Amino acid sequence: MKEPEGMTPRERMKNAMDFKKVDAIPWCESFYEETLIKLFSEGLPAHKIIDVEWAMSLDGHLLANWPKFMGFDPNSYFGCFNYMGCPVPVDIGPIPRFKQLKIREDAKYEEYIMETGARSRRFKKELGKITWYTMPQFLEFPVRDKKSWERYKKRLNPKDPRRYPKDWEKEGYLRLFDEYQNGPTTLTITGFYGFGAELMGIPNFNLAFYRDPELIEDMVSHWEYFTIESLREAVETFKDRIDLVFWWEDMAEKHGPNISPKLYKEFLLPHCKRVTKFLSKNKIHRIMMDSDGNTQPILDLVIEAGITGHWPLEVNSGMDVRTLRKRYGKKLFLAGNLDKREIVKGGEAMRKEIDSKLPLMKETGGYIAGLDHLVHVEFTLERFKEYADCLKEKLVIQ
Amino acid sequence: MEDLLDKIAYALANLKDSSSLKKFINQAMKKKLPILEILEKGLRKGLSEVGRRYEAGEYFLSELLFGASMMEEAMKILAPQLRAEKLEKKGQIVLGTVRGDIHDIGKNIFKMFAEGAGFEVYDLGVDVDPENFVRTAIEKNPDVLGLSALLTTTTPEMKIVIEELEKAGIRDRVKVLLGGNAVTNQFGEEIGADAVALDAVQGVDFCKEWTK
Repeated sequence: MKEPEGMTPRERMKNAMDFKKVDAIPWCESFYEETLIKLFSEGLPAHKIIDVEWAMSLDGHLLANWPKFMGFDPNSYFGCFNYMGCPVPVDIGPIPRFKQLKIREDAKYEEYIMETGARSRRFKKELGKITWYTMPQFLEFPVRDKKSWERYKKRLNPKDPRRYPKDWEKEGYLRLFDEYQNGPTTLTITGFYGFGAELMGIPNFNLAFYRDPELIEDMVSHWEYFTIESLREAVETFKDRIDLVFWWEDMAEKHGPNISPKLYKEFLLPHCKRVTKFLSKNKIHRIMMDSDGNTQPILDLVIEAGITGHWPLEVNSGMDVRTLRKRYGKKLFLAGNLDKREIVKGGEAMRKEIDSKLPLMKETGGYIAGLDHLVHVEFTLERFKEYADCLKEKLVIQ
Repeated sequence: MEDLLDKIAYALANLKDSSSLKKFINQAMKKKLPILEILEKGLRKGLSEVGRRYEAGEYFLSELLFGASMMEEAMKILAPQLRAEKLEKKGQIVLGTVRGDIHDIGKNIFKMFAEGAGFEVYDLGVDVDPENFVRTAIEKNPDVLGLSALLTTTTPEMKIVIEELEKAGIRDRVKVLLGGNAVTNQFGEEIGADAVALDAVQGVDFCKEWTK
């Protein structure tokens, strides 16, 4: 895509999220690691995707510079961006981490203690077979009751100095953002449902709203305190230099939200509000919820909580930007919703899907284009290029 | 008698606390109400209402799980008498997540709800080979074979299972029910499944319909 004069990708993203004028609709995608490996095998040029920088070798354990693999950047190659283009570096995980530990294996599976403390089973890595990146089977979760929660809570101390990088320094990081700005500066937050489901598992967390409401209240209260206090330094330092808050929830499936509006209102809404108020006080207003599934029955409350955007809007779950725009107008910027099942077909089916949504989104603004979830492994390199070429042409606003 | 059974159904359908439900069940047993009545006109009626409200969008996953767990607790109270009276199950379901897929949340919720509705469920677990599905179908002769898949990459396994059932000559003896995020009605039709369940309640409704 030809870079329009005067509007950087970051400005374009910010304007789109603010329903302001843009020269082209921004485009964001995220790739599964296994998709990238597949695309490499089909000719995606590794030297253009793998990011190598000179850095202190062995992660600083040797005072010598050496080329180091920093990660993958397929987005620039295809002409799109990633929501995590320029992340704010705060560690909101358990500290100390649970050490990732293999505890059992047989011919087919490996069983692990994961860094979050969950015990899980996954397929063994097999040469030539891509099976080990997919979500594992969770066998046990670290929080089961009040006692295990109290143990876990000790790892969620917001004041632990290890939450910030060793080289944390305000001016230095502002310069770093300017230098490496690639799309929006993004702060990630784990929402209250996502947090609980991650620590207890979806069935147990959902049941606990009825079986042990006191535990739920204690967990979400602590999570509110932890979120605000662990992020305070970054939020109060960067303020509106943070362009986007990526609020991970994953609180719904095809049928609807996992949690009822009633329970959300009673248990989660007050805490969400206090976190978004804290962000708002620091001039951070773009807060996008990441949740798969059909969130519609709960969206009024989510907006009341202070969420201002929503991704990925899975078509398979009944989400549709046209309906949502009509219902919520400028209360909610929208991202994604291009049906991956149609796009992967290419040709007319792909064009029809894009054309059914993009014109209205261009007209009404407040939209970031993209698939209705991560780029999955069924995409071939050729098909993804076809999609990229077609979409980029249509994103430009005359 | 009706009044007490209604109270049981009401307590379950409205997700009153477990102790109320237990109290009514104990009262019903003390009054020597037939166990089948307590089950059908009390508990299953209540659970069925939980499912109806879930389908209608009045209840959500938390309520569905709580309803099913209340049912599980109630069944523990009734267990000794159920064993003594050797009540017949509604039907049999063989269930599993297909080969290459190790996701089990949806499958486990379906299992919980199906057992609550009175089905005997043989859960083969996750990453189940087509041969294992077919072998178990031959051994157990179930009414329903439930296949679950979350990943789009593993849905072709469902087709293989159906083909293997045909090769074994037992396809017409068993209803094949598909479930999981990756499956759609269109896909189910394409591969020759009997039905696609978009959620646990719908899946159990299909099973009830087939075993009437």
